[in-house]
Amino acid sequence: MVVGDVSTGTDVAIIGAGPGGYVAAIRAGQLGLDVTLIEKDAYGGTCLNVGCIPSKALITAADRAYEAATSEHMGIYADVSVEMSEMVGWKDGVVDQLTSGVEKLCKANGVNLLEGRAEFVNDSRLRVVHGGEGQGSENVDFEHAVIATGSRPVQIPNFEFDGEHVLDSTAVLDLDHIPDSLVIVGGGYIGMELSTVLAKLGCDVTVVEMLDDILPGYSSDLERPVKKRAEALGVSFQFGESAANWEEVGEGVLVTTDSEDGSGGRYEADAVVVAVGRQPVLDTLNLEAVGLKPNDQGRLDTDHQGRTDVDSIFAIGDVAPGPMLAHKASKEGQVVAEVLAGEPAAMDYQAVPAAVFTDPEIATVGMTEEEAEEAGFTPAVGKFPFNASGRALTTGHSDGFVQVVADEDSGFILGAQIVGPEASELIAELALAVEMGATLEDVAATIHTHPTLSEATMEATEHALGHAIHTLNR
Amino acid sequence: MPTDFKLPDVGEGVAEGELVKWLVAEGDTVEEDQPVAEVETDKAVVDVPSPYDGTVATLHWDEGDIVPVGDVFITYNVAGEDAEAESGGEPGGAEAGGSAADAGGAEGREKPESTDAAEPEAAAEKAAVSETAGRTFAPPSVRRLARELDVDIEVVDGTGPSGRVTEADVRRHAEGGEASAGEAGGEAGAAEAAVTKVTEEADETADAGGAAQAAGAGTGAPAKAAEREQTLAAPATRKTADDLGVDLNAVPAVEERDGEAFVTEDAVREYAEAKEAKAADVEARPETPAEGERETTVPYRGVRRTIATKMAESKYTAPHVTHHDTTAIPDLVDVRSRLKAKAEERGVKLTYMPFVLKAIVAALKDHPELNAELREDEEVIVQKHYYNIGIAVATDAGLMVPVVKNVDQKGMLELAQEVNELAQKARDRTISVEEMQGGTFTVTNFGAIGGEYATPIINYPEVGILGLGAIEERPVVEDGEVVARPTLPISVSIDHRVVDGSDVAQFGNEVLEYLNNPELLLLE
Repeated sequence: MVVGDVSTGTDVAIIGAGPGGYVAAIRAGQLGLDVTLIEKDAYGGTCLNVGCIPSKALITAADRAYEAATSEHMGIYADVSVEMSEMVGWKDGVVDQLTSGVEKLCKANGVNLLEGRAEFVNDSRLRVVHGGEGQGSENVDFEHAVIATGSRPVQIPNFEFDGEHVLDSTAVLDLDHIPDSLVIVGGGYIGMELSTVLAKLGCDVTVVEMLDDILPGYSSDLERPVKKRAEALGVSFQFGESAANWEEVGEGVLVTTDSEDGSGGRYEADAVVVAVGRQPVLDTLNLEAVGLKPNDQGRLDTDHQGRTDVDSIFAIGDVAPGPMLAHKASKEGQVVAEVLAGEPAAMDYQAVPAAVFTDPEIATVGMTEEEAEEAGFTPAVGKFPFNASGRALTTGHSDGFVQVVADEDSGFILGAQIVGPEASELIAELALAVEMGATLEDVAATIHTHPTLSEATMEATEHALGHAIHTLNR
Repeated sequence: MPTDFKLPDVGEGVAEGELVKWLVAEGDTVEEDQPVAEVETDKAVVDVPSPYDGTVATLHWDEGDIVPVGDVFITYNVAGEDAEAESGGEPGGAEAGGSAADAGGAEGREKPESTDAAEPEAAAEKAAVSETAGRTFAPPSVRRLARELDVDIEVVDGTGPSGRVTEADVRRHAEGGEASAGEAGGEAGAAEAAVTKVTEEADETADAGGAAQAAGAGTGAPAKAAEREQTLAAPATRKTADDLGVDLNAVPAVEERDGEAFVTEDAVREYAEAKEAKAADVEARPETPAEGERETTVPYRGVRRTIATKMAESKYTAPHVTHHDTTAIPDLVDVRSRLKAKAEERGVKLTYMPFVLKAIVAALKDHPELNAELREDEEVIVQKHYYNIGIAVATDAGLMVPVVKNVDQKGMLELAQEVNELAQKARDRTISVEEMQGGTFTVTNFGAIGGEYATPIINYPEVGILGLGAIEERPVVEDGEVVARPTLPISVSIDHRVVDGSDVAQFGNEVLEYLNNPELLLLE
């Protein structure tokens, strides 16, 4: 059936059903708006289908296998074998449960779901092209549109993703067997998470990174335990090299790299994984029709309520400025939905926490000491090492520390950096502290459960105040 | 170089003064000892002399403001090199006064002195944060409130820990509280009262003793310092006094021993508390005007706004007439109490509501004009031959009206159960929109809370609503005798565009007849 110029009207058309779009849709539905949510691939977007969730599922599974096989020091002797296709099948089950949950929640909140790829006709009309041959398209007339199209992996020259020899992160999460060896291009958080998982599953991993260290953007004291651990797992690092080309060699690949001194390297492996970052998806939207243009970072500029330069069009998540993080997209989605419902919402958050699910984990929120100083504060820094935490020792993972940064004069907590076990969970308390305008004293005076890792947070605030109990004060 | 001049203690131990008039303007050149302002304390109007030679850079207060002693009053550009030494002189002097008090000298000054100490400290702490990085510390809920009240949170003075902005700070700012401190100043009010109520000298707030006592009135006599050279006390009491920063010689004596005043530990604590209370009172007053405490701003949205819109639509569209009547219902009370036990056996709580619903439906069948809807656009009145009765339920979120569908087709227990379930869902807010739609007539049981008659507002576009008063024993005339009988008062409001007064009276009669003779319901 070919559908001609059939138009449906809607208060809010949301393009993309990832953690930004679907959250915006549900909130807008709750607020009584007529919402149409347009998705071309899968509800839940990158995060639920091929990003945060599946990667964390595999990280957990790989950890379990690895721990079971390496706990002789605790008196545990196990012969572990991993059936990769079953592990991936379990992961897919988790993903299915979450994505179908998203679909149900949308429907329960009165959100109209529409499958297809949306492009702008003008500033009040979208054309939605349905997938598949001859399925036609339809128009959606909107009062407001929210662009939540997210991002896709960046490709580099000569390394076109083919699902066999050159893999993106999505393909790695769907492997049906554990490769004997992999070259991973990119030592950022995606590259490091994948490297750690695969190394734990017994794969021989070589990381090729253009810069001279892993995890750009994180200070060296945070990334050091991660690199040390990765090396202990057998990951080898080739810094200062950029992937130049590859060729098929037998069943596998030969990757050649360039370096500034002209030497370069040659690495053989079963396949090469390219994880050098993600870029916003804006090229499918026909933005010219509404006069919008991406900025230098490829994003759409937005105001404090998520509005683009076109009054009727909003942008959230990876296509908007700021870190590419699911929870930031969700928050923006909520704010935009509330703005559209006439509420006085705004993007007024003080900090966006971030977590890297390496081993050990890294998590940060708010300002570093340097950033606090640049902002005009007099930073007071407190630090507590996990090797002084009873709970950390009992988990067998005591690398890392909790560090808090506060304003010396007022005691307000400005930020925190954690590397260590469960850092991704621990950061939540400090994110709350930063948002609330809590002081060091507030956290230090709160009783924290013993024996838990969270005591390290309390001790770090006490350390900043000069009276930590379980570590030496300066 | 700019130098801050803090308001000195212009009287004998006053904590604040009302700025009556500036005698200089910003930019004026002043000489030392030249009067710069008139400040009225509870005791007198005094001229405040300038401590410096120089020019006036900033006047920090408006005429009419209540200025706490020790707050920055004027900023000068001081002439000459010795300015700093001089500016240091002021607070230094104050401190000297403080230590003198400790030594047992100037007891009378002690109270305001301690107040002074608290004030500038707090101010300095706030300044430390706001000047550092231009970020305002406030929880997300408070930031949101600021947007709702259209307050720029950057300019709100925070009173929370380290100057964190609190919900109360934002509300106060929104209500203009910070600006109107002068108006709200309790002492100014008391002073006025003293003028206007000269005849009522016994009036506590207008006590001739003046505002100083008025401020301490709540805490009573202990706040007033005693003045002694020597005081007897147990060592533990002395330690307590030290710990609390209390001068023993200032504590009112409990008794005399050997001709000397004797002070107990309790007396010390009481005195310290009273002093603190007063300090808190004085400190809080300029920033916590009475308005902030007497009014609460509740957001107008959600269920509340929906109720409001619907009520206004109904009342402004449909001319309401309310018909009141009552009847004795001893038989209904009897029937219900007998059936209640039976119903309980089947797990159903039987209230009067199912009987009322049945009576209403029976009467509606004879008076279809009350089970109707006026469609003005179509120029028709639609009479409905189905009976979906809405039941008004008070919930925490506000009024909700779940609808019992097809009441005429349901049995008594079925109705009882459905009413209970719907009401519970409404209270839990798990009720669906469908369950609140499609009503043709509404019942409101205000009597469940209390009251005899009311004037219910029609659940528009329905044309009738029946309100139930409380079932209570009331005097009823039977055979010429006044007897006590359980009675049920009803109040029926109708849309007079559709229903006439005679209709509703007849409808009311019929409903009451069924309730008076519940066995008639068996015929329905």
